Amino acid sequence: VTYSELTRRYFDDAACVGVLAGPDSFRGAAGSRAQGTWVQFDVQVSSAPRSGTTIHAMRFLAFGCPHVIAVSAWLAEQAAGREARVSLPESIQSLRERFGIPVDKLGRLLIVEDAWIAAMRTATGAPVLESRPQQPHV
Amino acid sequence: MNCVYLDYAATTPVAPPVAARMAQCLTVEGTFGNPASAGHEYGDAAAQLVEAARAQVAAAVGAKAAEVVWTSGATEANNLAIFGTALYYQESGRHIVTARTEHKSVLDPCRELERRGWRVSYLSPDREGMLDPGQVAGALRPDTVLVSIMHVNNEIGVTQDIAAIAALCAESSAARLHVDAAQSFGKCPVDFGALGVDLLSLSAHKVYGPKGAGALIVSGERGARLAPLQYGGGQERALRSGTVATHQVVGMGEAFALAKGPPPSEIERIALLKERLWEGLRSLRGVLRNGGARAVPHLLNVSFEGVEGESLLAAVRPSIAVSTGSACTSINQEPSYVLRALGRDDRLAESSLRFSIGRFTTVSDVDTAVVAVTRALERLRRIAGT
Repeated sequence: VTYSELTRRYFDDAACVGVLAGPDSFRGAAGSRAQGTWVQFDVQVSSAPRSGTTIHAMRFLAFGCPHVIAVSAWLAEQAAGREARVSLPESIQSLRERFGIPVDKLGRLLIVEDAWIAAMRTATGAPVLESRPQQPHV
Repeated sequence: MNCVYLDYAATTPVAPPVAARMAQCLTVEGTFGNPASAGHEYGDAAAQLVEAARAQVAAAVGAKAAEVVWTSGATEANNLAIFGTALYYQESGRHIVTARTEHKSVLDPCRELERRGWRVSYLSPDREGMLDPGQVAGALRPDTVLVSIMHVNNEIGVTQDIAAIAALCAESSAARLHVDAAQSFGKCPVDFGALGVDLLSLSAHKVYGPKGAGALIVSGERGARLAPLQYGGGQERALRSGTVATHQVVGMGEAFALAKGPPPSEIERIALLKERLWEGLRSLRGVLRNGGARAVPHLLNVSFEGVEGESLLAAVRPSIAVSTGSACTSINQEPSYVLRALGRDDRLAESSLRFSIGRFTTVSDVDTAVVAVTRALERLRRIAGT
């Protein structure tokens, strides 16, 4: 397997690794280590949960292939200062092209997206779908 | 390339004396003739080299020169052994016995024969990868025509008791015994005559010879018979038609002559390097050795808990060249079927690395590997929260 320069950079020097704690921190996770891919995002927002709030910091943990780690690291790094929104700042397709990710890894990218959505729902107070259980407050 | 090569079980560099001998068979100044051209001295000269190489390979494994059939490698040798035996003896029976941990070049022909109506019994080894010879005996049936068991496993390095299996086969069955010895010659003793097997597959590039060269040893004494798989020219006793690649087989002969019986000091040196590697890795948390202490001296297979396999390989790749399984299957990015057969779950089977040590490996190389794996594990486990 060969990796794009961007993937290699964010895999080798993944920033924003870890967890956040405190009343303004919220967590979302998706996937499972037993199944091979698991991602968790912790997001710290200015005042929450409500829409329109700003992300102060984001941290992630990821068990997965280099693409999963690189995309998670990139998303966490890009998040600070942005408005907290449930949807990803870029579409899955755009992320796939940006990182040069093979199409057969689309399912793993969707787990990254699910983790992001789960974290942002708790942070913004957006409705949670039945199929995506809300993660406990950190 | 700056990274440390620890993938000698996948392939080895061609030894300089081997390369020199091969080069002498290529150009107009050398022995470039077709060894089947009996009508002129160019052909005669090439044929002499081919036969000399045949004698070298035979001598290295305790066989007779007439028992050596050149192939393009161990995969072709395995295919010739399995299909050739199955087709030749199809009126006698259509049952084959093999193991779940065999190389793909044994398992895939068996699967194909199943599609064509043969029955195959796949034996399960114990958690260290070992077969009890009694398992083989228990699987034999009146219609069993072939037993195919590898000598040294290519992923975990365990050595099967071939002599015991051969004795049981001879006692209780007319089945032919085929042994894939691609990973054993040059690393542990291989004596074709003493083992009592019918067919033995060999590879040149595992022992500092060229890729694209191999052989199937077909026992004359035991009267093994094969149906050919390709026709046209009748070379290799009509078992493998096609012009013999003089430079390739000359290279294989030279490599086998060099690899025969490595000095005890070299075997000990490699064994010590492997133990140094294992000692360095075992101190890390969640490290499991596959194949136990029964593995051949040059090969160490280890599973690492709490990390994902592809990321582990990507993380160590800049520093060391290792494999996540056999080189032939690692491109599939699937968990090792060998490790799964040993009872490892998918995650541990995925997060395994095969380190294989060779002639040019140094203490410094091993220490580099330990540092690279340690750093990768610590970093990936921190990222994974494990």
